[in-house]
Amino acid sequence: MTALSKCVPTLERGVPFTITVNGQAIEAYAGESIATALLAAGHRAFRKSDAGDAPRGLFCGMGICFDCLVTVDGLPNQRACMTEAREGSDVRVSET
Amino acid sequence: MSLVSSRHRTIARLHYRTMNTTEIAVIGAGPAGIAAAVTTAEAGAHVTLIDENPRPGGQYYKQPPFAFDTRTERWRQRSLPLSLAENIQHGRELLAGLNHSRITVRPNTLVWNITADRVLDLFAPEGGSRVQAKRVIVASGAYERVVPFGGWTLPGVTTVGAAQLLLKGQGLLLGQKILLCGTGPLLQLAAAQLLDAGAEIAAIVELHSRTEFLGQGLKLLGQWGKLGQGMAQQKRLVEAGVPIKYGSIVVEALGENQIEGAVIAKVDSNGHPLAGTEEKIYTDTLCINFGFVPATELTRLAGCEQYFDSHFDAFATKTNDELETSVRGIFAAGEVRGIGGVEVALLEGKLAGNAAARQLGYAAKANGHDPSTSQPLQREWQKARAAFESLSGMFAVKRDLFQSIADDVIVCRCEEVTAGARRDAARAGAQQLNALKAWNRCGMGRCQGRVCGPIAAQIIASETGANLELVGMLTARVAMTKCACGGAWRINWSSVSQIARVCSTS
Ligand SMILES: Cc1cc2nc3c(=O)[nH]c(=O)nc-3n(C[C@H](O)[C@H](O)[C@H](O)COP(=O)(O)OP(=O)(O)OC[C@H]3O[C@@H](n4cnc5c(N)ncnc54)[C@H](O)[C@@H]3O)c2cc1C
Ligand code: FES
Repeated sequence: MTALSKCVPTLERGVPFTITVNGQAIEAYAGESIATALLAAGHRAFRKSDAGDAPRGLFCGMGICFDCLVTVDGLPNQRACMTEAREGSDVRVSET
Repeated sequence: MSLVSSRHRTIARLHYRTMNTTEIAVIGAGPAGIAAAVTTAEAGAHVTLIDENPRPGGQYYKQPPFAFDTRTERWRQRSLPLSLAENIQHGRELLAGLNHSRITVRPNTLVWNITADRVLDLFAPEGGSRVQAKRVIVASGAYERVVPFGGWTLPGVTTVGAAQLLLKGQGLLLGQKILLCGTGPLLQLAAAQLLDAGAEIAAIVELHSRTEFLGQGLKLLGQWGKLGQGMAQQKRLVEAGVPIKYGSIVVEALGENQIEGAVIAKVDSNGHPLAGTEEKIYTDTLCINFGFVPATELTRLAGCEQYFDSHFDAFATKTNDELETSVRGIFAAGEVRGIGGVEVALLEGKLAGNAAARQLGYAAKANGHDPSTSQPLQREWQKARAAFESLSGMFAVKRDLFQSIADDVIVCRCEEVTAGARRDAARAGAQQLNALKAWNRCGMGRCQGRVCGPIAAQIIASETGANLELVGMLTARVAMTKCACGGAWRINWSSVSQIARVCSTS
């Protein structure tokens, strides 16, 4: 998957580690939110809408819209933009 | 009057073993909250500064996480875009003031309820807690206003703030080719920042015509600093060849599983799209911002009176000149009491801090101002507020804009309610926002109406011809609802669903 979102060199990132997305390992850095790690790895759709089957991803980026919900370590409905990635985090998204 | 029910209280009792106390609780660590905390501490009071984010700074002074800048000497000055450098420097200076023995900062902590007698319910990763404060300063900021169009729910379509926050706070560029749409000076500022960080800007689609926009800009003549900033930004954008499409809007975002392009159109002076002027623009990212709406749910929960701010077409929290709300002992500062920008937020933080400290008997000099005679500060504030209000035309949304949203466009992202359903309800009698809830669950979804509430209000107003003030606002709910499955209590805000586990097992 080619990522449209890119890390910029203006910030020195934290310690690198891996997290898994639907079982597949991706790279993340200490201090990143799960949304950042997902976007940098090329995931833009995080879930399907409740009523329909439409893909949804990050929208407000500040914790108010609840469109970026993912499952983290078995806990459903976590806001990817407000949840910090931790080494080994098990993230589940609904791909389109 | 608090809306918390006795059942909520029972649950809270189950969970909290102790009630902490603090002299002054400040909710929100943006410019207003930081200024308030520093002012009260310098005056002699003990203050607890609470924010849901991992680091203080708020939206404007968003800081990268600690884990990012410990490895090396923080920011690499060389490659730091100019448009961001100043912002970061100011933020650092402001934050340095928080290193005060009387300030306790509580990051990662959500305030999910507040009562008129100043009891706050908090939730943090380590669990829930309750604080009784002698005085409370609410500095909860604002949200972005969005005008929806077909395809705005596609991944890759975000608010402008989302792109800015990711860049400032996470060092991530949201896309490679970015289209910005909406209205106001933030669009051009954000475009310059994203450009400096390496993105291509597909275009800036500004609702106001060039004449309207520049006419507003002329009001900055009295404020040389701002005018200079604005001109430097425009020059930067022009030099980079960024097309600025004045008097236009995005009518549709295109794409299957994510955004691939957008259709834009020119609008007439009322904001109605003109047939035959459509133009297709390829882009991988689309960011929307039509100004801001105050984040008033906490002051509403506490029962503080709200007023309709006609400058910015939104409800805000009413205060007196001391920034005390209608509920004694609860103050409001920053964008929660009206959109005003960073300078106003900082001044209001100081004023509220002074007044709250004074009520507790502290009268030390703070910020070089004698709190018993805060007149110079008052004057500075009135001037800054008037200057900002004179710019409100730049953020004004045009009513026909809402009339022309197609019936099948989703308005409520959570409950997937369309503009057509909203209009049907409005015609059938739901002429106030709260009434709409019963018709089609407006404001009942996870975002609790934060995103869709202001849009729905505009749609009702344009459908019925009523003014926005009469359409009203949604009643604030405690962020706690009964879980449909299993009957366990859980916090509505999903990030704190852990409380459900704690409560259901206690
Ligand atoms: C996304 C975004 C981008 C912006 N960019 C610019 C810009 O580039 N230039 C400009 O001049 N202005 C910008 N603004 C406007 C800017 O926010 C204000 O000028 C200024 O930051 C307002 O300061 P404040 O202290 O009132 O609120 P904010 O800075 O918004 O701070 C409010 C804080 O309160 C916290 N909070 C709210 N509710 C709770 C709760 N229940 N529990 C715990 N914490 C809570 C929030 O997490 C936040 O940190 C932007 C606004 C937003 C929303
Ligand atoms: S993007 Fe809105 S809550 Fe995460």
